[in-house]
Amino acid sequence: MNQMSWPPRVPPGPPPVPVPPPMPVAFSGSRGEFFDLAKRGAALELVTLGFYRFWLLTDIRRHLWSNTLVDGDAAEYTGRGKELLIGFLVALAILVPIYLGYFLIGLEAERYQAFASIPLVVFFYLFGQFAIYRARRYRLSRTVWRGVRFWMSGSGWKYALQASLWGLLMILTLGLILPWRAAALERYKMRHSHFGDLQGRFEGRGWEFFKRGWWLWLLTPIAIYIIPISPFVYAGYKAIEWRWWLSGIRFGDVRLESSLPKSALIGLYWKVIGWMALLGLVFGIYLALCAVLVGSMSGEGVTEFFKTPELMRSIPLLVLLGLGYLVMALAMNVVMRIYLTRDLWVIVLGSVNIIGIEAAANVAARGDLANALGEGFADGLDVGGF
Amino acid sequence: MTMEADAPEISTTPPANAAVYFDGVSSRRRAVMLRFTDQLEIAGHEQTLAAWDYADIRRADSPSGMLRLACPTASALARLEVRDSTLATELVSRCARLDENTPGRRGVAVIVGWSIAAAVSIVCVVLFGLPLIADRLAPLVPDAFERRLGEVADSQIRKIFDAKACDNPAGQKAFVKLVTAIRESAGLDTSVQSGVLSSPIPNAFALPGGRTYLFNGLLAKADNADEIAGVLAHELGHLRHRDSMRGLIRDGSTSFLIGLLFGDITGSSAPIFGSRTLVTSSHSREAETNADGFAIEIMHRLGRPAKPTGELLLRVTGKEGKGLSIISSHPLSEDRLARMSREDRPASGPPLLTPEEWRALKSICDTKI
Repeated sequence: MNQMSWPPRVPPGPPPVPVPPPMPVAFSGSRGEFFDLAKRGAALELVTLGFYRFWLLTDIRRHLWSNTLVDGDAAEYTGRGKELLIGFLVALAILVPIYLGYFLIGLEAERYQAFASIPLVVFFYLFGQFAIYRARRYRLSRTVWRGVRFWMSGSGWKYALQASLWGLLMILTLGLILPWRAAALERYKMRHSHFGDLQGRFEGRGWEFFKRGWWLWLLTPIAIYIIPISPFVYAGYKAIEWRWWLSGIRFGDVRLESSLPKSALIGLYWKVIGWMALLGLVFGIYLALCAVLVGSMSGEGVTEFFKTPELMRSIPLLVLLGLGYLVMALAMNVVMRIYLTRDLWVIVLGSVNIIGIEAAANVAARGDLANALGEGFADGLDVGGF
Repeated sequence: MTMEADAPEISTTPPANAAVYFDGVSSRRRAVMLRFTDQLEIAGHEQTLAAWDYADIRRADSPSGMLRLACPTASALARLEVRDSTLATELVSRCARLDENTPGRRGVAVIVGWSIAAAVSIVCVVLFGLPLIADRLAPLVPDAFERRLGEVADSQIRKIFDAKACDNPAGQKAFVKLVTAIRESAGLDTSVQSGVLSSPIPNAFALPGGRTYLFNGLLAKADNADEIAGVLAHELGHLRHRDSMRGLIRDGSTSFLIGLLFGDITGSSAPIFGSRTLVTSSHSREAETNADGFAIEIMHRLGRPAKPTGELLLRVTGKEGKGLSIISSHPLSEDRLARMSREDRPASGPPLLTPEEWRALKSICDTKI
């Protein structure tokens, strides 16, 4: 099946059924509603010192999923924040002894040579890849469309092993092999993804990805030196990746196609950068105001105050700074969620065409729910996506 | 069955699109009509597809402009979708427990309450529990293990500061004499290893497992042997109190716990760094003050003044200003000098090093001699 992955796409071929028109995918959510959700979530994160993240993430997914209409029917996210919390706690119970062991092994290794424990990072890379796979499995098994859930089989460890070997090749080839790595890993993930009894597969080829994006690989070293072009490079890369990935997805006879232009995401990234700059400026002004305020209250005169190292030691100033920092960090989170989660979702969704959706009209439900352990690991190890 | 007469009346709205039903067994989309009897009857073209108890009906996530219902007791994934607003209102009014599973205000309040409780408990453990645990645990750590830790830290520090050990024979002899005098008067055994490292940074430190190092930069700033003796005594004080082991246990678990709070076990983000600095530096100030006390006591035992050490510290750091420093890991140099002068006694014993030995020590890093 995989060898025949070059079917003519545009001419429909000889089947008796006339070509069905491509089925659009729609998004019905309002931006204001999402903004309220992100704002409220950020405020609650502040109050709960970050614990609310599990519920906020769930709310964001619920909003995005339930407003995504495929062939006229909206999807649904059935995961709950509590599951993520439990997944996180279980992951902790497993990670804590591992961290301790890691510490001890590192100690032994360092005895023989300084910084010899660095190879152990490889182990955590492996673990992170496992987490990515299992987190995807959780998300997929909480995705319901037309009363039938998606689900995923396969082994997280096998995936992690594959991903790590490819990661090694990535280092050896300075990242040139990335398209083939992405294709191989995606083939594994999609082969084990199902919608009811409809099995998924991935038909994207590394070579296609490479053909579209090789010039970005050449641009990357330049972008490291000339920072202003790096958002263009990254946005271009993401757009190419999204388009290639979506266009390779198949579920039975259902095929996805994306027509996302290379430049589609550049605006988003610049908007985020603009907001960051603005927030940074506001934070800077706030800092200056705080310093002047505290300085003038210290009674020594503002200029005197700035000259002494006392500036960095004043408790009221530190408290004001800490508060300002937290508020700014949360505001940045809101900005990122709106542009890089919601708007990105809408733009990417708008580029998708689905061909052969009638194959999903009568799919028998199958598959079980996966637990949120992977999400917990991903949270604990700071990997993972949506 | 008694309310059968209601049925035609309710479904007078365009019947084809009145509602859409997915049975949760297949993805087939069915246009259905709803009948309100003592249950909610979902009727397809020929037969009734399902009957849901009103009390079991729950709201499911839906796009705006649509009411989506589920009935977990009937089938986990069966969904009923209603777009018509009058029909939706009718349904909402009949299903009393519609929003029972939706987290509302109360749910959020519970989350907030427990989060704050968890945060308070973590903060209490960090502030009160961990120092206690570290104090109890540090003496239990086997010496061999502590020495191993010291070896690791040792090789890393040498790499970081790019420092080589200084040991020209004359200087080394003077250094050993000085260290031995202090060590013996401190009652520490020969497992203590000391050395001078060539680095321009004016500093000295103690590592777990009995290693103390003096940077050449501090020697260069010192005017006499008493100044250096006090510094060494201070570092031996850290060894004696096993401060680095305690610090390791305490700081390691502190960053771990605070990382937990913010959701990053590896502990790298800014708020973690900030709060950790505040907590650990307050502990470290306490340890420094104790080590100072130890140094003063040793210098008294040796019959030498403690004040020169305070003067050296002030010379190195410069005036640090008054006011409470909550982010600094050491007490202010002025305060340390004040304390050392206050508790100072005039010299009653012989000098620790002869002038020649002192000169040799000062030039311990000169290889040209």
